[in-house]
Amino acid sequence: MAVKIALAGNPNCGKTTMFNALTGANQYVGNWPGVTVEKKEGKVKSRKGKEEVIVTDLPGIYSLSPYTLEEVVSRDYLLNEDPDVIIDLVDATNIERNLYLTTQLIETGIPVVIALNMSDLLAKNNIKIDVKRLSMLIGCPIIETSALKGTGLNEVIDEAVKVAKKSEHKLPGEIFEEDIEKAVSDVQGMLPDSISENKKRWYAVKLLERDSKVKENKKFPHAVLNQAETEAKELEKVHDDDMESIITDGRYNYIQKLVASTVKKAKGQLTVSDKIDRIVTNRILGIPIFLIVMAVVYYISVTTIGTIVTDWTNDVFVVAIQDAVSSGLGAIGAGDLVTGLVVDGIIGGVGAVLGFVPQMAILFLFLSLLEDCGYMVRIAFVMDRIFRHFGLSGKSFIPLLISSGCGIPGIMASKTIEQDNDRRLTIMTATFIPCGAKLPVIALMGGVMASYATGSYVAGGFVAPLMYFIGILAVLVSAIILKKTKPFSGKPAPFVMELPQYHIPSAKTVLMHVWERLKGFIIKAGTILFLACVVMWFLGGFGFADGGFGMVEDSNNSLLAVIGGVIAPLFAPLGFGEWQPVAASLSGFTAKEAIVSTMGVLANVAGDTEDAVNVAQGVAAWFPTTIAAFSFLLFNLLDSPCLAAIATMAQQMQSRKWFWFAIAFQNIFAYLVCLSVYQIGSFVMGGAFGIGTAAGFIVAIIFLVLLFRPDPYKNQKVYTKTSVQAAR
Amino acid sequence: MQPLIFLQQGDKAWIKRVGGAEETKRFLAGLGFVENAEVSVISKLNGNLIVNIKDSRVAINEDMAKRIMV
Repeated sequence: MAVKIALAGNPNCGKTTMFNALTGANQYVGNWPGVTVEKKEGKVKSRKGKEEVIVTDLPGIYSLSPYTLEEVVSRDYLLNEDPDVIIDLVDATNIERNLYLTTQLIETGIPVVIALNMSDLLAKNNIKIDVKRLSMLIGCPIIETSALKGTGLNEVIDEAVKVAKKSEHKLPGEIFEEDIEKAVSDVQGMLPDSISENKKRWYAVKLLERDSKVKENKKFPHAVLNQAETEAKELEKVHDDDMESIITDGRYNYIQKLVASTVKKAKGQLTVSDKIDRIVTNRILGIPIFLIVMAVVYYISVTTIGTIVTDWTNDVFVVAIQDAVSSGLGAIGAGDLVTGLVVDGIIGGVGAVLGFVPQMAILFLFLSLLEDCGYMVRIAFVMDRIFRHFGLSGKSFIPLLISSGCGIPGIMASKTIEQDNDRRLTIMTATFIPCGAKLPVIALMGGVMASYATGSYVAGGFVAPLMYFIGILAVLVSAIILKKTKPFSGKPAPFVMELPQYHIPSAKTVLMHVWERLKGFIIKAGTILFLACVVMWFLGGFGFADGGFGMVEDSNNSLLAVIGGVIAPLFAPLGFGEWQPVAASLSGFTAKEAIVSTMGVLANVAGDTEDAVNVAQGVAAWFPTTIAAFSFLLFNLLDSPCLAAIATMAQQMQSRKWFWFAIAFQNIFAYLVCLSVYQIGSFVMGGAFGIGTAAGFIVAIIFLVLLFRPDPYKNQKVYTKTSVQAAR
Repeated sequence: MQPLIFLQQGDKAWIKRVGGAEETKRFLAGLGFVENAEVSVISKLNGNLIVNIKDSRVAINEDMAKRIMV
């Protein structure tokens, strides 16, 4: 039988880093609390000749009373799944707060081994811990570890296995003042024998605290409940406080005593983190700093280094391969059909996306750096002030930031939002932020748009930061509109979040992030995109012409043109009524890069097969004006995300009704925004006034009314469920 | 006794009482906001605070800071 170990501890203390080091997994780590929102299981490697060990990585918790959804995952696992032993990660630089959870973990009756993590930072922070004495006082083994450096890991596992294998476990010890302990032991003594000896203390404390969930879940004899109530009342009278506070204080008092005799630390002056915080969260500079940072990140990603490599890949590398393959296929006598499929379909389509990989790599590099150094949570804090005006907590900003890499973890990150309706709102809007896969679309369309103005396809660099800020704006607009409706009304939860210490990002972590994400895209290019390209090439190259089915000369006779042509009129009011962009948008639901690959295929199919074309040139022909190209890009920014992200939405919404509402909202919102932007934009640019223009203005007015109407729920006390309550 | 929001950058105080809903209080207790804990203000922006408590740095907004009495 394998030994089951749970990794538990405060958020951001290194559980996932340790899990990765132990199991060789590549679970996502980051320097902020709440990165892990699901439990993960893995087998410990390097246990040759020893028993098998399964570790479970859990989301971080501050106590066993959950405040947000991901904490429920940890609590339920620890209390219901009976791991053989808990490895409790304690951040050595913040020992007092971390031990608060430890006292609760020990109380569960599951044997605990403490991993005193980040112990490599002790010397630097002038902290001395008498580990032996602390271990003796607290009653469980303590091993010094550094998950990041990989020290102490084998020791902690060996110790945990040793503890798990003991037949007799030590019962949780006494930690409270005498009178509280007496009450605990009185209640404990009356508990029925159906509760095992090692769990009795936990139940006794919970009953004294009047924990309603514990009372509901287990039927206790009336005598026990009455006894607990009498004792609690008596204690409350003596201590002049409510029972929960008495227990909480008791734990901290106990910890203070422990720490006083075992931990020596230098009195802290202002740390570097504090100094940086005073600047980046400054009330005047905070937001401008954030805007500049993000603008620079996006600008650099799609221009400068990004473009140099991308242009080379697109114009030289892909074309060279197309030429080489084309002549190679010719030489071995392959027919036009095969050559067309390989050169136009596969290389033209997949190549169009692969060309943007360098730009994505640079974006991911920047995002990882921002995340790992600790800046990200500060942005959430700075944005809290703005978001609160619009009825959201700054906590909603974290999913948005994550979404700039990929929408799937972004949607997952919404799990840490306290209010259930705010959580749903964030899930719905998180993918308005351009993800890495939308970057190629933005870069391509940016080039197309710039080409109208300057005749060059390169000068579209400003479009990427612009789309990012439009994404944030769209989130805010949606929030304002939805917050004035009943299901979403109510004040957001107060913002309380631990800020991680700044640190110089570790090269290993950052490079691993970038590589993991790039790998994802390259795999997608080889699978989903590959398939999409083949399908698109077939649909775009074949059709009914001259009375029979076959390869068509003019792609306007193709199957895709027929299918796209049916839907295209729907999009004509948005400015892209040609069948090609409509087909590309539809293919975007498989993966957003597919928009680019489909355009690549269609541009190649339309072009002369002998001579590879610049995709952007081909694409430009489908859009009559800059506004039309912009409207197309905007639509693909705001509509529903790719299928993988849609599936994540469904899973996180936990409600079919809300899931379909989200899908409908995203697409209708995207359609209406683009309708008014294109129609009004074209009119302003000197177009004629028509029915479309009128519709555009009407939609815009409706938007303004929804935005600025008084909030009907403003002064009402609306009861809003927290996510944890809603999940019960 | 005054709410935490009245402290200025650099001020240090001891928490006297934590108010608010049960769940919120429990959550704050887990973060270290309990009676007699020392708290110091690192920075302040329009009522939102970054404070130091039990060796960790916590960002806390106005609504919450009003409920913590020092």
